[in-house]
Amino acid sequence: MSRSSFLKPDTIALHSGYVPESDHGSRAVPIYQTTSYVFESVSAGSSLFNVEQGGHIYSRITNPTVAVLEQRIAALEGGTGAICTASGMSALFTTFITLCSSGDHIISATQIYGSTATLLRHTMKRLGIDCSFVPINDEAALRDAIQPNTKLIFCESIGNPGLEVADIPQIGKIASESGIPLVVDATFATPSLCCTIDHGANIVVHSITKWIGGHGLAVGGVIVDGGNFDWQASGRFAELTEPYAPFHGIKFWEEFGPSALAMKIRAESMRDIGAALSPHSAFLIIQGIETLGMRMKKHVENAKDLVEWLQSQEEVSWVNHPDMDSNPSHAIAQKLFPKGAGSIVCFGVVGGRAGGAAFIDSVQLASNLANVGDSRTLVLHPGTTTHSRLSPQDMIAAGISEDLIRVSAGIEDIVDIKDDFARGLRAAKRVAGDQ
Amino acid sequence: MELRVRGDNTYAATGGKDFDNSLETVLFIHGSGLDHRSWALQTRWFAYNGYSVLAPDLPGHSLSDGKPLESIEEMGLWLADFLDAAGVESAHVVGHSQGFLCALELARQAAKKVKTLIGIGTAGAIPVNPALIEAARESAGKAAEMLLQWGFGNRSHLGMSAVPGMQPIAIGRQIMSKNPLAIDLQACANYLNGDEVASTLDVPSHLIFAGQDRLTPLKAGKVLAEKLKSQYTVIEDYGHMLPIEAPRRCLHQLRETIAAFNPEIS
Repeated sequence: MSRSSFLKPDTIALHSGYVPESDHGSRAVPIYQTTSYVFESVSAGSSLFNVEQGGHIYSRITNPTVAVLEQRIAALEGGTGAICTASGMSALFTTFITLCSSGDHIISATQIYGSTATLLRHTMKRLGIDCSFVPINDEAALRDAIQPNTKLIFCESIGNPGLEVADIPQIGKIASESGIPLVVDATFATPSLCCTIDHGANIVVHSITKWIGGHGLAVGGVIVDGGNFDWQASGRFAELTEPYAPFHGIKFWEEFGPSALAMKIRAESMRDIGAALSPHSAFLIIQGIETLGMRMKKHVENAKDLVEWLQSQEEVSWVNHPDMDSNPSHAIAQKLFPKGAGSIVCFGVVGGRAGGAAFIDSVQLASNLANVGDSRTLVLHPGTTTHSRLSPQDMIAAGISEDLIRVSAGIEDIVDIKDDFARGLRAAKRVAGDQ
Repeated sequence: MELRVRGDNTYAATGGKDFDNSLETVLFIHGSGLDHRSWALQTRWFAYNGYSVLAPDLPGHSLSDGKPLESIEEMGLWLADFLDAAGVESAHVVGHSQGFLCALELARQAAKKVKTLIGIGTAGAIPVNPALIEAARESAGKAAEMLLQWGFGNRSHLGMSAVPGMQPIAIGRQIMSKNPLAIDLQACANYLNGDEVASTLDVPSHLIFAGQDRLTPLKAGKVLAEKLKSQYTVIEDYGHMLPIEAPRRCLHQLRETIAAFNPEIS
């Protein structure tokens, strides 16, 4: 049971947000492939524009197919509302720009996805929004980084690719005491493994391109409003508590309370930035989310098997997964992810960077590509791809070594995955022997 | 807007427009543990279509200061003082659930303040299981959970929402768990005179019931309608939280009923 629904997660994933009710009784969620919606009358159109009633105006703002996915994800996460976006990155940018203005400040974990780090370090800075990067589980460092103009604390629940698990209850407590919302990118965990809001997050962001979709067919993102942050008491968010001129002076907090942020994102950021998810992509991602619980069980099971097997291979220098005792955040992982801390496994092979390259070039079942969370097993060398824009110093802070291979364990039969990896390890060994 | 009522700061939503007491006023009264946001999808329409709107948070609820009131009778008297503070001589009064019990008491104790009575998801008495009140005393959040489970109809339990992307159960949980739910529930449980009061009133009225209401069953609502000599409408397929679950249909019925008494505005 989540905070939004009395149904169990697997039932929510199949049913929430849609009841067959059209003229045709379609059991599957229909694709509303339309840009706009006919108003019943001039006054009905005016009512929609003036937020006097709910409904659809234009698919950049809302769309019936996208709304099903939004309500389903909000229900799984236990949020008061959700807004889908064109990608995970646009979900992050939309969140940051809704909460921050020029002169504001963000605190971020050091161990985060490379593109997010670039967004915070360079693009947001160009807009006059500074970011301090801190080791997120270092309580003193986090407290020291808070400034009067800090508008949010950001972390990934499982860092990419360092696999540091953020101590969300502790970070949430510090954030709450300071009147600052905690924004968590929970892509690697999905709501199937952890309801992040229950542990203290205020806003949860996902790249739904990944496990939530699972098929690798569509790019998308989502922002979930936890509804558990008091924007008035914080005193830092005039954008939400004071009159908003473009909507006749509406005060989002007074008017909408626990869904104030979701409504602000919808009314302002989707209107102005327009990073909307297409109805067709929403439909594809709905097909994925319906089996999320089952798939995550298999992903986690395969990751666990793979970790054990890799540890026993002589060509493997080291292995990292939050469920391993050797992971520095193992204790936190056990607390937050009792069903398993996801299906990303990182490891190094003999031969260093060259050995790693040989491994990746030799595997045949696993795909070498810049994505995670596909049902198929994926491998990547982050140092030369997703995180290549980071300086050597920032790479170390992000937990990335030259030999690091990132695996997104798929749901194939584990025997075939191991056979494939054995081929890769033999190639790495040959390279190491030549050195 | 904020008003001083009995010395306390009181918040009232005005539908997004400045309150003007020279216009016909519609007063919206929320149910147990809730606040003005229950009426978000009705108040703005009235405010932008020729009426003035007041949707207060009762004392000690959400954005209003003050000590929570312990009886429905006191709430009725407080509403009369609230209307005085706003400079309103009389209003169309809309109440949801407990809010309609307060409306009945307002009409009984200050008849001149009430032009029209409209009740949504209500009855002449709203019995509350003592175990629920006890649970609310221990934890408003725990009791809110029970109330939300019984209060919403099947569609809401399947994640349907009148506002795209939203989850009304989570919104209700956040609001209720921070408000004095136990005091409200006890006040409801203690108030047994609704049908009797209704039979003494001489005021135009209309009642709106939900076909799937498990908190104020249709049968009890029909008794109230008879005592009040009121017409009623049943909205099938929805639960007790009608203003949130079926906002458009509630608004339609409110418009029809209130407009019937204000042909110059409609």
